[in-house]
Amino acid sequence: MTSSSERLEATVDPKLLEILVCPLTKGPLEFDAAKQELISRSAKLAYPIRDGIPIMLPEEARKID
Amino acid sequence: MTTATTFGFRDVPEEERQRLVNGVFASVAERYDLMNDLMSGGLHRLWKDDFVSMIDTPRDGRPFRLIDVAGGTGDVAMRFVKSAGSGADATICDISPEMLAVGKRRVAEAGLDERITCVEGNAETLPFADKSFDAYTIAFGIRNVTHIETALAEAMRVLKIGGRLLVLEFSHVDVPMLDRLYDFHSFEVIPRLGKLAAGDADSYRYLVESIRKFPKQDAFAGMIRGAGFERVSFRNLTGGVAAIHSGWKI
Repeated sequence: MTSSSERLEATVDPKLLEILVCPLTKGPLEFDAAKQELISRSAKLAYPIRDGIPIMLPEEARKID
Repeated sequence: MTTATTFGFRDVPEEERQRLVNGVFASVAERYDLMNDLMSGGLHRLWKDDFVSMIDTPRDGRPFRLIDVAGGTGDVAMRFVKSAGSGADATICDISPEMLAVGKRRVAEAGLDERITCVEGNAETLPFADKSFDAYTIAFGIRNVTHIETALAEAMRVLKIGGRLLVLEFSHVDVPMLDRLYDFHSFEVIPRLGKLAAGDADSYRYLVESIRKFPKQDAFAGMIRGAGFERVSFRNLTGGVAAIHSGWKI
């Protein structure tokens, strides 16, 4: 799982972004393309996107203010 | 407070179970197809064809969106988009990064990345808006979920009105003689084959034991009704070695 891909073009499908929500609050997410994160303001968490796969697990998310 | 649950036939603390299950799939991800072949005698390929044919997909280009939960290696999602009309697409949601990595690679190799997206997520807390999908499938996944009722409630939530739930799972054999043969195959043959083929008898033992712990066909149908699904039915495959359960959100 660690050394999968060298590609940097990984993006999230726009149709997927339309339906993704925070798994904890079911609130909306903001897509940060530069950081490759999906931000849930309501849960104060930033979910990482790795190799184009959104990792929608709170235990994998970064806490934000 | 710690609630006890089961990991195969072992009792383990509830919060421990998901970690143990994840460990099993991390260790078998690359050989998952082989594992299914061993466990089902190759029948899982036919069962999956049968399963996918139950998704009522539009033949024309109308949009239709499937969520395949615990579908890490892409087996069901790829069968689905190949057989459905051009407007159909699928999202694979799996908690195991190892399984998803295998799936994403296969989807790309098959040239299907435009139609299949991957998300790492938990069946009990799906990261999708209400009423997002036309169908929800889970094949050989639901018995690995710690709280099955919670996963079924989430399935209900993310389905559109008129959407269908389809569950393919190993089940309980209801044919005399076949049940004894199946017991022998499960507890004596599979772990040994697992050890020979994958060097991992323990993971295979878990998989066999978890099948036996899973509720019988009628009981599971009751759980689906309990989550609010209607017109719930099931159909045995190969004498009940596996079963397909179906329910509608109406």
